[in-house]
Amino acid sequence: MSSAVSTEPLLHRSFREISRPRFRSSTLRPSPPPASLSCAPKSPSFRHARRRCASGSGPRRGGWGGAGAGALLRVRASSSGAAVVEALESADVLFQEAFPLQRTETAKGKIFVRLDQGKDGQNWQLTVGCTLAGKWILHWGISHVDDVGSEWDQPPAEMRPPGSIPIKDYAIETPLQKSSTSMDGDEVYEVNISIKSNSNIAAINFVLKDEESGSWYQHRGRDFKVPLMDSLQDDSNIVGSKRGFDLWPGALGQLSNILLKGEASDYKDKDASTDLEASKQEVRCLEGFYVEQPIVKVVSIRNSVNISVKICPKTAKTLVYLETDLPRDVIVHWGVCRDDSKKWEIPAAPYPPETEIFKNKALRTLLQPKEQGNGFWGSFALDEEFVGFLFVLKLKEEDVWLNCMGEDFYIPVSSTRSSSLIRQKESDSTETSGKTMETNTEVSSTAYTDDIINEIRNLVSDISSEKSRKTKTKEAQESILQEIEKLAAEAYSIFRSSLPTFSAEAVLEQEALEPPPHICSGTGTGFEILCQGFNWESNKSGRWYKELMEKASQLASLGFTVVWLPPPTDSVSPEGYMPRDLYNLNSRYGTIDELKDLVKKFHEVNIRVLGDVVLNHRCAQYQNQNGIWNIFGGRLNWDDRAVVADDPHFQGRGNKSSGDNFHAAPNIDHSQDFVRKDLKEWLHWLRSEIGYDGWRLDFVRGFWGGYVKDYLDASEPYFAVGEYWDSLSYTYGEMDHNQDAHRQRIIDWINATNGTAGAFDVTTKGILHAALERCEYWRLSDQKGKPPGVVGWWPSRAVTFVENHDTGSTQGHWRFPSGKEMQGYAYILTHPGTPAVFYDHIFSHYQSEIGSLISIRNRNKIHCRSTIKITKAERDVYAAIIDDKVAMKIGPGYYEPQSGPQKWSPVLEGRDYKVWETS
Amino acid sequence: MEVSVIGSSQAKILKTDLACRELGLLSFKNGGRVSWGKSQISFGRSCGLRNSGVRLTLKAVQTEAIRPQKISRPQSHGVRLYVGLPLDAVSYCNAVNHAKAIAAGLKALKLLGVEGVELPIWWGVVEKEAMGKYDWSGYLALVEMVHKVGLKLHVSLCFHGSKHAKIPLPEWVIKIGEQNPSIFFTDRTGQQYKECLSLAVDEVPVLEGKTPVEVYNDFCESFKSSFSSFIGSTIDGISMGLGPDGELRYPSHQGLSRSSKVPGVGEFQCYDKSMLALLKEHGETTGNPLWGLGGPHDAPAYDASPSSNSFFKDDGGSWESPYGDFFLSWYSSLLVRHADRLLSLASSAFGDSEVAIYGKVPLVHQWYKTRSHPAELTAGFYNTQNRDGYEVITEMFAQHSCKMILPGMDLSDEGQLQEGLSSPEQLLGQIWSACKKHGVEVSGENSSDAVAHGGFEQIRKHLSGEDAAHSFFYQRMGAYFFSPEHFPSFTQLVRNMKQPQMHTDDLLSEEEKAKEPVAATSESGIQMQTA
Repeated sequence: MSSAVSTEPLLHRSFREISRPRFRSSTLRPSPPPASLSCAPKSPSFRHARRRCASGSGPRRGGWGGAGAGALLRVRASSSGAAVVEALESADVLFQEAFPLQRTETAKGKIFVRLDQGKDGQNWQLTVGCTLAGKWILHWGISHVDDVGSEWDQPPAEMRPPGSIPIKDYAIETPLQKSSTSMDGDEVYEVNISIKSNSNIAAINFVLKDEESGSWYQHRGRDFKVPLMDSLQDDSNIVGSKRGFDLWPGALGQLSNILLKGEASDYKDKDASTDLEASKQEVRCLEGFYVEQPIVKVVSIRNSVNISVKICPKTAKTLVYLETDLPRDVIVHWGVCRDDSKKWEIPAAPYPPETEIFKNKALRTLLQPKEQGNGFWGSFALDEEFVGFLFVLKLKEEDVWLNCMGEDFYIPVSSTRSSSLIRQKESDSTETSGKTMETNTEVSSTAYTDDIINEIRNLVSDISSEKSRKTKTKEAQESILQEIEKLAAEAYSIFRSSLPTFSAEAVLEQEALEPPPHICSGTGTGFEILCQGFNWESNKSGRWYKELMEKASQLASLGFTVVWLPPPTDSVSPEGYMPRDLYNLNSRYGTIDELKDLVKKFHEVNIRVLGDVVLNHRCAQYQNQNGIWNIFGGRLNWDDRAVVADDPHFQGRGNKSSGDNFHAAPNIDHSQDFVRKDLKEWLHWLRSEIGYDGWRLDFVRGFWGGYVKDYLDASEPYFAVGEYWDSLSYTYGEMDHNQDAHRQRIIDWINATNGTAGAFDVTTKGILHAALERCEYWRLSDQKGKPPGVVGWWPSRAVTFVENHDTGSTQGHWRFPSGKEMQGYAYILTHPGTPAVFYDHIFSHYQSEIGSLISIRNRNKIHCRSTIKITKAERDVYAAIIDDKVAMKIGPGYYEPQSGPQKWSPVLEGRDYKVWETS
Repeated sequence: MEVSVIGSSQAKILKTDLACRELGLLSFKNGGRVSWGKSQISFGRSCGLRNSGVRLTLKAVQTEAIRPQKISRPQSHGVRLYVGLPLDAVSYCNAVNHAKAIAAGLKALKLLGVEGVELPIWWGVVEKEAMGKYDWSGYLALVEMVHKVGLKLHVSLCFHGSKHAKIPLPEWVIKIGEQNPSIFFTDRTGQQYKECLSLAVDEVPVLEGKTPVEVYNDFCESFKSSFSSFIGSTIDGISMGLGPDGELRYPSHQGLSRSSKVPGVGEFQCYDKSMLALLKEHGETTGNPLWGLGGPHDAPAYDASPSSNSFFKDDGGSWESPYGDFFLSWYSSLLVRHADRLLSLASSAFGDSEVAIYGKVPLVHQWYKTRSHPAELTAGFYNTQNRDGYEVITEMFAQHSCKMILPGMDLSDEGQLQEGLSSPEQLLGQIWSACKKHGVEVSGENSSDAVAHGGFEQIRKHLSGEDAAHSFFYQRMGAYFFSPEHFPSFTQLVRNMKQPQMHTDDLLSEEEKAKEPVAATSESGIQMQTA
């Protein structure tokens, strides 16, 4: 039994990574009844009985997972349960087949949100819980009092419950724990967040995620929002909710039909606007409240129906035997046909018991329960003149029809019919009469894509058979090619990830063949050392380019070969990561001319320059007719076709995103040719006009790596590195030792770029955090005795780093363990990979130590493919020898390299680290 | 019976029509669309249905509503392209591997307009545990997947193992082999090739009292009954495994070390007990008992060049001596007889089904430019400067109405190392013309899992022109296949194959089309396949 929530395909392509489901301010109705401070009063809208009810039938199109395929076959094997079958087996069986039946059932439960005051009267506690079993994750963030927009922020560390994981710079994910209390006999999963009353937090925003199914649960299609301050009322909330109601009716159905179902019944009578009125008044002063909201989780269930056909030796009639393992009373709605047209006909009596005629079109027979085991059976005797037996199944108590891939089951019963004929339904143009019956199918994920495919398939056959429809053909070809590209990318990523061994051995082997001095954009020369030439505050002065220019010679003398400059374009946010007009390079960092001077200066001191390019998203300059900001301005005046279609905020008319969406700005649809062409031109322009040598690519999780390859092939950078940042894996709040899945995702991306770009080794940073913070240095060796990060698998494409403008600086979203930065640098600056040093660290008291490490690296010609042998990975010490030339250790424990043929002499020692060279 | 032959003025339709008429096909007008059907398809099916009386009565009813059989649906271009599924699509434990990826891949291929996929079915997976104990479950699931997407399926019955895919022969066969090593091919030094059975034991009851041919036959029958509902509809072709890697040859490079860049000549594989016994017998019957005591003593080793010993020497090598002829005719005739057995088995097993039978003949192109063609000789093809060794094979294929798969269509002479004196293009040309002479249809295949850049050009060449292959097996789906560095080239290949349709508004290609009557001629080939 696989569980799938029906909205899944609309929300995300992949649930492996954490995306950013954020929706403009919405107010969670703080329900006002006075009793709400007490725990668990029954809300009138809450349906107490946790009844499982079926909500429709999925056609036989379910996921092709191994499990599904297995199920089909298992049924075959076990189908000979009843005695009748044995009787049947004695005669010639003309036809036998098990058809899978896929349907969905829904489990109902509720989400509850409780805000109450702590014992001391000072602090508040927010409890979010859920009564359905699942691997629930609370994805949340806060809004500050002075926040203008709808951005989330991460809560202060003391607010984060144990086990929380920061998601980039804007959210926290906290797993819900099984609570010791239960609610009406159901298990409760919950999480508690305590809020200091003196904090300046205006609201807590969250959505609930079910990791098992990968689905998000929202409040009426938007984030849950718990307002904590009344100041919120006057600005964002009202505006936000007004806007919300203009906007959301359409999107609502698309986004959360999970919730919709629950709400449709339970909230229908309430007018949304009165809710708002109420909330406006109630929230003026913070009060405790308790609200519940029903949720529905859709679980797909597989059953099967087993058909066998034989000739009764006595009566010469055809006997159709049908059995199924459906759990409840089943009605067979059936008829017969005389030829291939499959025109339903009612045969002459006698009929099986419990049969009635339905509107003179078909017969309805209630199946008999099996004597043993679960399920039902029925047997139908037909005259030999009939060619086929047609039926659909209906669950008696419910309005659920089950059919065969959206059509009637058709069983050939005459001996001249071959069973294979039933396999050709789809090619047939004839309509079956049975089609008049409504099948209330859920849009399941595969059904959705299948429909597209069927449409396109028709187009394809049209193309190949007719040649007159020029325009149509062209359009069709476009859409086909795009669909093909995506499917291929999907297949590729699965094939790739199902071969984890590849990454380690095959890549290394391939590495060995590459001669080191070869320059490619994934590695540069292989001897590069990167400097991140800015931090989160660099935009503040307005003259960063000039300030940095003064430091260029110093950076060169420290040994850096590449500098990464901040995003240069016109941007909505001062830091530059919300680009707007790509050809306007006057930014808070300085003017375009200052930028050119800076680049020139770096080139003079032999440092290459990387431009920080944001290709995933772009802020619009104009609104469309619905008031949505999705029309771009400037030289690249794209319209909404350049925006991906699967982010309802921005109503894009492009294709679905090929990656994760960044919800704060319109995500660019890279599958559009004009977009790619324009971006390539832009990159080319940056190269030639500004003199950039390469790229640091922002948020590359947002689109397919294959496009990056395209851009890099076109712009031919000297060096390129992508930011593929997602969460490491944790179990019960503790980081897993094995982060192979995490680094595999990064490797997959690099691979999608065909190795034309490196990627920041987020895995290594994460593991260093855990190792240093908790004194668990054993983490620095993976199961195969290699470095556990990307650098262990594909060193030449790993750009190792300790800190950047997001993780550190004044943002501090994922700060390196304080005071231990030099251990981090001792690791990355001696190890293979391409190390990147953060500006804040270069210009700090660490400068001389970092400088020494760089000169050790350069002196010993350590490069991105250097060999590494881990000589110790224990609780309190990690040591390694690189290229047999440099030995290093980090951690408080003792280590001295063993002198063999070579003699080791210490060259650098600092707090909990030490480096040796051969003498 | 409503039958109308379309006499359209459109040249294209006329051509295909002609092709069909020649083959006894009929076209039906069905809802304004021309669809192709073949009268036998619907009636002559044997699916274990035995009530012939009923069959007759229904015949008349049926013709009216006959369904267009997908096999014979006309493609307006010539070559039908199949993409091989991963070798381990069904794992050794009979589970479908990377099902999700395959599902996505199948959809992509369908959209791309690929005709179908090829699925290797391994003896070692299906009949793994004991003789006669078949488990088709993994494959059934996979075939169902293919069927659902609406692709065709070409099945390769693999009676060999694959180290590459980590699929060995059935466990019970390996066990027998431990007791009786002579069921495997053996070289001069006694080294055994355990990836398939020696052809010398084809008709010796070495497998628990049954002969390998009987066991293969049971396997085919079981396959046929398990997949009866797909055979002739979704499954439109079956390749019979004929030896190592499914190819008709001796494993003459069994211990192939990749140390040297230029592959050597290979070695004769006639040293297992059964082979030696046959050789002895052959020597005695031809009056040269001494010649039958062993293989040539002066043949070079696997990786050696032809001139490193005297047997294959261009001048005065023993291959040209009476002894050489004695040995080589015997050695090669066993191979032909083996193929004959298996193909006749296949055509009798599947002859009544609507599937085409295929066998694969390798392209042993190394050393083709020498006089003795040593690599071909060790592989079992007695094809030298003086003698055509492929005539007899194509003739035998023709007898059984089998089609021939020729791999290596992506190889060009230029891509070969000079020192190897190899010529894939010439050899391909030789085999191809033999096929043409005997009316054997040729299907192409690429040589390796990774087609190099020039390879696509080469494939394209073979798929157009007068002697275009009538179908092509592109090997093989997997991570590389879908990778950004490969998939676009493949897409390009497919699109180029369809070029006349893709650019109808482009005058240039209209002209091209006029120049090349390719599509029409090769179409007859397509239709033949269903015969």
